[in-house]
Amino acid sequence: MLTSFIHRFSSPKSFVEVTALFFPYVMFLGFSCLALGWIWGLAFAPEDAIQGNSYRIIFLHVPASIMAQLIYFFMSICALMHLVWRVKLAAYLIKSAAPVGVLITFIALFSGSVWGIPTWGTWWQWDARITSTLILFIMYLGIITLHSSFSNAEKADRLMSILVVVGVVNIPIIKKSVDWWSTLHQPASISISDGASIDPSMLYPLTISILGMALTMIALGILVSKLYILTREKNKKWVQAYA
Amino acid sequence: MINFFSLEAFKLRHKLRAWLGPLLIMILVLIAFPLSIDISQYDLNKFYFSVIVVSLLMISFLATESIFSEDYEDGSLEQIHLEEKDFYKITLAKILVHVFFIGIPMALIGSIFSFANGVSLAEVPKIFVTLSISTLILFNVFTFGSALSINKGSMLGVVASLPLALPAIVLLGRGVRSVQYGQGFFEVSVLMAGVALIVTALMPIIISATLKTHLE
Repeated sequence: MLTSFIHRFSSPKSFVEVTALFFPYVMFLGFSCLALGWIWGLAFAPEDAIQGNSYRIIFLHVPASIMAQLIYFFMSICALMHLVWRVKLAAYLIKSAAPVGVLITFIALFSGSVWGIPTWGTWWQWDARITSTLILFIMYLGIITLHSSFSNAEKADRLMSILVVVGVVNIPIIKKSVDWWSTLHQPASISISDGASIDPSMLYPLTISILGMALTMIALGILVSKLYILTREKNKKWVQAYA
Repeated sequence: MINFFSLEAFKLRHKLRAWLGPLLIMILVLIAFPLSIDISQYDLNKFYFSVIVVSLLMISFLATESIFSEDYEDGSLEQIHLEEKDFYKITLAKILVHVFFIGIPMALIGSIFSFANGVSLAEVPKIFVTLSISTLILFNVFTFGSALSINKGSMLGVVASLPLALPAIVLLGRGVRSVQYGQGFFEVSVLMAGVALIVTALMPIIISATLKTHLE
């Protein structure tokens, strides 16, 4: 029953049709939340007692870092769906999410590096969290390289899915790196079990920024996926009718 | 299963370049490093482990880069696929034979060089155990990379599998530190052995699925 449900609602055609309905709303909500979170955080949130104004990069760095890991996690779920149920759309989504993952991981690394100058006095530190995020960045590039190395797209999809599933082992390492090692990078300030250790005046704009970044990434993901699906299925009748 | 082991051992034993080459390169790297930098033996002893770890990482990749290529090119893999429908046994046999013929000697070389660079003789067996377990994990990971890029050159295998070696390197670093500071060696070794067993049990399944994808 689950398999038939998945196959029924996971055809590339339905994806393109359904996402076309809510894509503008997701994009609008995403940009609005990002704008609200950033304006609130950059202009109205109070100055940090120790870091001064330099901490404000948190409103870009933290959402980007969270998204970098979440996108990979999403890709691994898609990879499992592709390997177990042979859902073609899942492979398309992985292929489309990987460049988005590269972009957002680069933003996380770059913003962290910029933040490192006023707080740590250095652009780069071989710290567990930073290094494991760099590995994630290389992982994304590896997935893209692997897929583009094969002319047979179906074979490339399956190999890419296998690599994504195996690579998910790095995600808990990145997440827990600040707890497992004595690192320069600070531990998580927001935790599901322990709540938030930052002041609400900073927490609210940060939460809105994270939500905005998530929605923007979903919108970007939909856009890239749609383009990829239309390119990949260009010979199908529904695509010619759609165009 | 025994047949697979003996066949793989026979094949590897007769490919001198495949097992002796990586070992010689490792020795050359470990000799070349102290020659290339002009520092005191005291300073060298402090970070020589890092050189051993990095050379172990790179040589493990080198040793496994063409682990399947010959079988793929001469059609042996296809024949096994038709007969066995699965590559689990052959993959496991290949990995363990490579660890036995290349990984264990690599760990021995690493231990000898660590002794030559300040580790006491009593600690050398601990280094040997740590390096041996690490090679088992690394060979599994890089065999996966080799299976992914079976006919696409070794560079793709590196790009795909090197990030996966991160946990192994982290564990190896922990193991080395536990030997250096004389604390928690048993705990780290047990953890490493557990990870190695899990990886050795699971990785052949993943590699088998990868090889099937190439042949389908």
